[in-house]
Amino acid sequence: MAAQQGDVDELFDVKNAYYIGSYQQCINEAQKVKPSSPEKEIERDMFLYRAYIAQRKYAVVLDDIKANSPPELQAVKMFAEYLSSESKRDVIVADLDKKMAKSVDAANTTFLLMAASIYHHEMNTDAALRALHQGESLECMAMTIQVLLSLDRVDLARKELKKMQEQDEDATLTQLATAWVNIAVGGEKLQDAYYIFQEMSDKYSSTLLLLNGQAACYMAQNKWEEAEGVLQEALDKVGGPQELAFLVFVCLSGLCIYVTSRYLSQLKDAHRAHPFLKDYLAKENEFDRLAMQYAPTATA
Amino acid sequence: MLTKFETKSARVKGLSFHPKRPWVLASLHNGVIQLWDYRMCTLIDKFDEHDGPVRGIDFHKQQPLFVSGGDDYKIKVGLLTMKIVKIYNNENEWSALISYVSYFFLLCSVLTGHNHYVMCAQFHPSEDLVVSGSLDQTVRVWDISGLRKKNLSPGAVETEVRGISGVDLFGASDAVVKHVLEGHDRGVNWAAFHPTMPLIVSGADDRQVKIWRMNESKAWELDTCRGHYNNVSCAIFHPRQELILSNSEDKSIRVWDMSKRTGVQTFRRDHDRFWVLGAHPNLNLFAAGHDSGMIVFKLERERPAYAVHGNMLYYVKDRFLRQLDFNSSKDTAVMQLRSGSKFPVFSMSYNPAENAVLLCTRATNLENSTYDLYSIPKESDSQNPDAPEGKRSSGLTAVWVARNRFAVLDRMHSLLIKNLKNEIVKKVQVPSCEEIFYAGTGSLLLRDADGVTLFDVQQKRSLATVKISKVKYVVWSADTNLTNKYSNLKVFSAAIMICNRKLESLCNIHENIRVKSGAWDESGVFIYTTSNHIKYALTSGDHGIIRTLDLPIYVTRVRGNSVYCLDRECRPRVLTIDPTEYRFKLALVNRKYDEVLHMVRNAKLVGQSIIAYLQKKGYPEVALHFVKDEKTRFSLALECGNIEVALEAAKALDERSCWERLGEAALLQGHHQVVEMCYQRTKNFDKLTFLYLITGNLAKLRKMMKIAEIRKDMSGHYQAALYLGDVSERVRILKNCGQKSLAYLTAATHGLDEEAEALKETFDPEKETVPEVDPNAQLLQPPPPINPLDTNWPLLTVSKGFFEGAIAAKGKAGQMAADLDMDTSGGEGWGDDAELQLDEDGFVDAPEGLGEEGLGKEEGGGWDVEEDLDLPPELDVPVGAGGGTEDGFFVPPTKGTSPTQMWCNNSQLPVDHILAGSFETAMRLLHDQVGVVDFGPYKSLFMQTLSRGRTSYLGLPSLPCLRGHPQRNWKDCGAKQGLPAVGLRLSDLISRLQQCYQLTTAGRFEDAVERFRVILLSVPLLVVDNKQEIAEAQQLITICREYIVGLTMETERKKLPKDTLEQQKRLCEMAAYFTHCNLQPVHMVLVLRTALNLFFKLRNFKTAAGFARRLLELGPKPDVAQQTRKILAACEKNLTDAHQLNYDPHNPFDLCAASYVPLYRGRPVEKCPLSGACYCPPYKGQICRVTQATEIGKDVIGLRVSPLQFR
Repeated sequence: MAAQQGDVDELFDVKNAYYIGSYQQCINEAQKVKPSSPEKEIERDMFLYRAYIAQRKYAVVLDDIKANSPPELQAVKMFAEYLSSESKRDVIVADLDKKMAKSVDAANTTFLLMAASIYHHEMNTDAALRALHQGESLECMAMTIQVLLSLDRVDLARKELKKMQEQDEDATLTQLATAWVNIAVGGEKLQDAYYIFQEMSDKYSSTLLLLNGQAACYMAQNKWEEAEGVLQEALDKVGGPQELAFLVFVCLSGLCIYVTSRYLSQLKDAHRAHPFLKDYLAKENEFDRLAMQYAPTATA
Repeated sequence: MLTKFETKSARVKGLSFHPKRPWVLASLHNGVIQLWDYRMCTLIDKFDEHDGPVRGIDFHKQQPLFVSGGDDYKIKVGLLTMKIVKIYNNENEWSALISYVSYFFLLCSVLTGHNHYVMCAQFHPSEDLVVSGSLDQTVRVWDISGLRKKNLSPGAVETEVRGISGVDLFGASDAVVKHVLEGHDRGVNWAAFHPTMPLIVSGADDRQVKIWRMNESKAWELDTCRGHYNNVSCAIFHPRQELILSNSEDKSIRVWDMSKRTGVQTFRRDHDRFWVLGAHPNLNLFAAGHDSGMIVFKLERERPAYAVHGNMLYYVKDRFLRQLDFNSSKDTAVMQLRSGSKFPVFSMSYNPAENAVLLCTRATNLENSTYDLYSIPKESDSQNPDAPEGKRSSGLTAVWVARNRFAVLDRMHSLLIKNLKNEIVKKVQVPSCEEIFYAGTGSLLLRDADGVTLFDVQQKRSLATVKISKVKYVVWSADTNLTNKYSNLKVFSAAIMICNRKLESLCNIHENIRVKSGAWDESGVFIYTTSNHIKYALTSGDHGIIRTLDLPIYVTRVRGNSVYCLDRECRPRVLTIDPTEYRFKLALVNRKYDEVLHMVRNAKLVGQSIIAYLQKKGYPEVALHFVKDEKTRFSLALECGNIEVALEAAKALDERSCWERLGEAALLQGHHQVVEMCYQRTKNFDKLTFLYLITGNLAKLRKMMKIAEIRKDMSGHYQAALYLGDVSERVRILKNCGQKSLAYLTAATHGLDEEAEALKETFDPEKETVPEVDPNAQLLQPPPPINPLDTNWPLLTVSKGFFEGAIAAKGKAGQMAADLDMDTSGGEGWGDDAELQLDEDGFVDAPEGLGEEGLGKEEGGGWDVEEDLDLPPELDVPVGAGGGTEDGFFVPPTKGTSPTQMWCNNSQLPVDHILAGSFETAMRLLHDQVGVVDFGPYKSLFMQTLSRGRTSYLGLPSLPCLRGHPQRNWKDCGAKQGLPAVGLRLSDLISRLQQCYQLTTAGRFEDAVERFRVILLSVPLLVVDNKQEIAEAQQLITICREYIVGLTMETERKKLPKDTLEQQKRLCEMAAYFTHCNLQPVHMVLVLRTALNLFFKLRNFKTAAGFARRLLELGPKPDVAQQTRKILAACEKNLTDAHQLNYDPHNPFDLCAASYVPLYRGRPVEKCPLSGACYCPPYKGQICRVTQATEIGKDVIGLRVSPLQFR
C-alpha cells in the first residue's frame, strides 16, 4: 500500500471518467489533456477510443485508427470491429484465437483486455480469464473479477479483489470491483457497495453506471421504492440507445409489472440482439414448449 | 487565550466591563479615560478630566454612569450619554450615587490600619466586607456593617442602596479590621474576594500569588502560586471556573488551577508589563491593561463543536455528544465522551455511513492537540448514555474524506489518511498547510498562509486554488438540484467569499466584525451570523442584515423562516427570521418573476430603497411595478423600453419634454404610431411631415401640406408638395410667394405647358428675362409608396417578459392580481393532473402490456436464429480449455453455483422457481399444487416474474452486464440459504382489486373479469409470511371467483334473446343467481335492483319483494331506497309469483360456473382446484371457466404460498 508519493497520473481524469461511465466527459478530457510522452499519448487515445466504443460510435474508432497505428490501438480497433458487425464476429474470434495461440506480448495490456472483452462477449470465460491472467494491471484484475462473478465464483473474485486492494485500495477500479463483489456477497455488504457508488457520484458526477449500481444495491436490499427513485433519476439522464437498453433491462427487476411491461416493449422494439432480450425470448420459447406438455383431460 | 480586541494607548491602570453592553472602560496613566466597544472594536468616547494617572474606574451597575479616581485626589462621575440625566433632579439618587463613589475610592485612603499606601480595595459581592492590599505587605479584611447601619436611610431597600453617606460621615470606626493576612514578603498590589466562596486571592511584589481562606473568626493562607518572575500586579478569581488569573510586570498573564494550585496557561507579551486585570461579570471575557494599551480576551473558545447531517444535529455539550432531531426537536444524549482533556472539543466531523464522529481537541500548544474517533452506539439511554471507548491520537485536525477514511493533519503539518481502525493507510505529501477542511468525498481544502487549495486525496494533487487569507470556516451547500455542484463558502476573520466547486470566486463580502457561523438555506441563500447580526448573502453578492442579535449564536441549519442555532451555552435554539428581502432578491436573480410579482403584490416591501435597488441592478421593469409616481414611471418605462407604459405615463404628464423623449424612444423601436402622436403633441410639423413621407401615408402628407398652407409656412408647404411630387402645387406656391422664375421653370421643366405659358405671359419682357429651361432636366419625382406602412416596424419577437405581460394585463383589468394568482395555481393544478395522468398511464398500460406479451409469442419464430448465435461460443469452450492445459500455468475455474440454482433447491414455492428461471419445475409445482393444465394465461405472469428475479448493472464499460439476484432474506441468508425477492406482494394484489371494483362499478364487465382473472392467477405466485396472510390470499381467490362467475354470467345474460317467455324466465333466473354471488354492497345494490326490476316485470311479486327487502337492508341511496319501498309496497299487495322459476332463495346453492344452474347442497359437484368454482359433474376434466388455466375436479396438493405450509 506504499503510496507512490507525488506520482500524479496526468490521465487520471480521462481514466476515471471512463471507468465511472462518464464517456462524453472522458472524451472531452482526452481531447483537452496534453500528454507528456508518446506512451501516455497512446494510452490517452486508447481510453478515448474505448469511450467512443462505449458510446457505440464504432465508426469513429474504425475510421480513426489506421493500419500504422500502434498495436495497442489496433487491439481497440479489433474490439470495435467485433462489436460493430455481428457478421464478422466469427472471423474476428477465429483470428483472435490464432493470435492467442502464439505467444502474446504480455506488456500490451490493452490487447489482453480487448481479447478478454471479446471472449467475455462470446461467453468464452475460460479464454477470457486466460488472457487476463497474463496481465497485471488493475484493470485486468477488475475484468477478471467481473468474469469470475459471471461464473458465480464469488470466492475466487474475493481473492482477486484482495490482490487489487493490496496494489491500490483507493483506486477507482478497486472501489468499483469491491462494490461488485459486495453485491455478489450480499447481506451487510450491500450497504457498503451502495456507499461506494454513492461516494463516487458525490465525488465525480452521477453517471448511469453509478446510478445503476446504486439501484442494484437497493433492489438487492428489497428497497424497491428507493431503487425506483434512483432509476427515475437515471431515466432522466438517459441519452443514447445503449443506455436505454440497459436501463430498461434494470427496470425489469422488481418494479411494478405494468411499468415493466412498458419498458419491455420498448426494449423489444429497439434491441432484439441485446443479451437480455435474447435470453428473454429464449425463455418465452421454452415456456411455450413446456406448456405443450400439459393439457386438460377433457375438452368442452 | 483568544484575543478579541486590542487597543493602543498610554499605560492602562484601571479597567471595567459594562454588565450589559459590549463596553469596556480603560483609565490611563496620562489621565484619559477611554470608553471602548469591544465588539465593534471602536472607541466610543474619551474623557479627559483628570490630571495625572487614573488608577480606578468602575461602571455603575444600574445607572449609565461611571466613577473614576486619580492621583489628582479627585473622584469624577462621568455620564455615558450626553443627555442630562434625571439623577440630578432627584436628591435621593444623587446621594446614592455619591455613596457609591465613596466606596471604592475613599476606602483606599481612609481605611486606617495599614502602615503604608493602600494599593487596592474591593467590596465583597454580597457581604459587608472589604478586602484591601497594602505596601505594608499585609492583606486586610474589613467589616463595614457599621457603615451600612449608620447610612441606611429609613425605608431604603437594603439591597439596592448600599448605604447612603456623605463624605463627612465616613469615620474611622465605620470600617473595622476583621482579619489581617500576613505572608507576603513584599508590598501587596492586589487582593480580591472569590464571588461565592470565602476565599481571597492576592498578588504582591514578592512575585507570588497567594490564596487565603477565611471564616468568621480567622483567616489563613491556603497556598502560594509561584511562577511569576517579577512583581505581580493583579490577581483575580475566574467568575465561573476554578481558575485564578494573575498578571505581572514580567509581561505575562498566568492562569492557575485553583484546586491544584498549578499553572495551567501562560500568555506572554514581548514588551509590555501588565498592570491590571478585569473580568466581565456575566460573560467569559477578561481584559488586561499593559504599558501600551489593553487587550480583551477569553480563555477558551465558546463555539460549540457541532455537525449537521440531514435532519440531525450532533453537538458536544458537557462531555456528552448529543443529537437533536430538527423535525421533532427531540434532543438526546447519545454518548459520553472520554474525559481527560482540559480543553473543550474544537471541531467535529460526522460520518453518517458508519455513524462515527471525529472530535478534535486543540491545546494551547498546537503540537499537543489530539483527536478522538468514536463510533456512536446504535441505541443509547438518554439519561445514562454509554461511554464507548474512543481512539485517541495526536493531530491538529481530523476530518472524514470517505466512508471509511479520514484525513489527519498531524503536528508536522503533513497529511495522513487513516482507516476506521485509526491505522495509517497512507501518507500524503501536501503543499504547506496549516489547516484542513472537509471538501466532499475524497477531497480536502487545505489552508496555507495566503489561500486555500482543493486537494484530491486519491490523486494526491491540487485541483484548484483560491487566494484568500485566514480562512476559518468552510460551509458547503448541497445544491438544491442534487447535482454534484457545491458552492462553498469560506468565512475568514471579517469577510466571506462564496466560491463554486472549482474554487472560482463568485462573490466577496466584507464585514467589519467577525463572522461567527453560517448555513445555506434550501434555496441557496447563505445565512450567516456575526457577533451581533444575522445576515444573508446571495451568490450574486447581494447581502444584508436580517436581524440583530444580543449574543453570538452559531447557526446550524436554516429552513424557511427558522434559523436553528446553538448558543454559547450549547442550548439549541430556533429563531424566526423574515426572509422576504432575500427571497425577493433571490427570485429576481433567478428570474422567477412570478414569485417576485407575488411578493410585490402581497409583501410589504415597497419603498424607495427597493426601487433604487431594482434600478441599480438592472431590473427597471420590476421597479416599474412599485412606482406610482408618473414621472418615475415614465423614465423607468423608457429605461426598459416599454413604450405602452411610457405612453400612458406621458399622457398623464402631458409635458413637452416627455413627448419628445418618448418620440425618440418610439422612433428607435419603429413604433411610428406613437412617434406620430408625439410629433402631433409637440407640434413638430417638419418631423411629422417627414414621418408621413417615409411611412408612405400620402393622405396625411397631403393634410400636412394643407396645414402648412393654413399656417402660412411656405417652406413647409413647399417641402410637403415636394414630398408629394405635386408639381402644380409647387408652381402655385412659388407663384404665390413671388418666385415667378422658379415657378415658370418648374412648370416648364415638368411639362406643365399651359401653366408655363400663363406664367411666361406674366413676365414683363422689358424688366425681366424669361429663364432658360435646362434641356437636360430630368424628372425628379418621389417614388410612390407601394405599400403604405400602417403597422409598426416589425420587431424581433421577444417573448414578453413576465412583468410586461403583467403590466399590460393590469392595464386591461383591475382585478388581474387575482386572475394571475389563479393562473399560477392553475399551473400547479396542471402539474397535479399530469401526475395523475402518469398513474393512469400505469393503469391503462396494463392491458397493453398484456397484449404485448401476447405478441411476443408470435415473434417466437425468430428464436431459432438466436439459438444459432448462441451456439458458437459453446463450441468454442472446449477449444479454449484445450489451450489452457497446454499452457499448464493457468487452469480456468469451473462455474460456481448460481444463486438461482440455490433458490430452486431451497424452495417448493412455484414463484421461486419461476424467478430462478426454472420454468419446468415451476410448471410442475403449479400443476401439482393447483392443477394448472393450460399455461397460456400464465405466460405473461411467468415472463414478468422471471425478469423481476434479476438485476443487472454495468461493470467495466463495453462488457456484458453483471447480474444481481435480489433475495428476500438477504439479511441473514448467508451464501447457501438464499431465496429470491418477490416483487409481487399481497398488498399489491389487494390494491389492484380496487381497480377491478371500479371497473365493475363502471359497468365494464369484460375488462373487470380480465383483471380479476390476472389477480386470481397471480395469487399462487405470492410468497407470504404468516398464517393470516395465507388466509387473506385464499380470501382474495374467493373474491375474484365470485366476481368472475357473476360478471361472466351477467355478460352472458345480456347476450341472450328475450323474445319468448321461456327466454325471459331464464334471464330472470340468471339475474337471481347473480344476487347470490358474494359481491361488495355497492355492487350488490346494482345487482339486486336489476333482479328486482326483472322479477317485478315478470310479475313474480313474491320473489321481487324478497329482493326489495335485501336491497333495503344494504342501505342504498335515499332516492333508490324510496323507489324500492314503492315497489315493495306494490309487491306486498299481491305476494304471489306468476311463473315457476328454477330459483329457490331459501335453499342454499352453489352456482355452476359453466352452465349457470344452481347446485343445491348435497348434489354432486366438481370444483376447480384453484378458484374453488363449482361445476356440474359432466364438466370434470375440462378447463375451469373462471381461471381458464386449471382443470376442473383435479386432485391436487392445494395452494402453497408460504414456507409455513411445508412445515
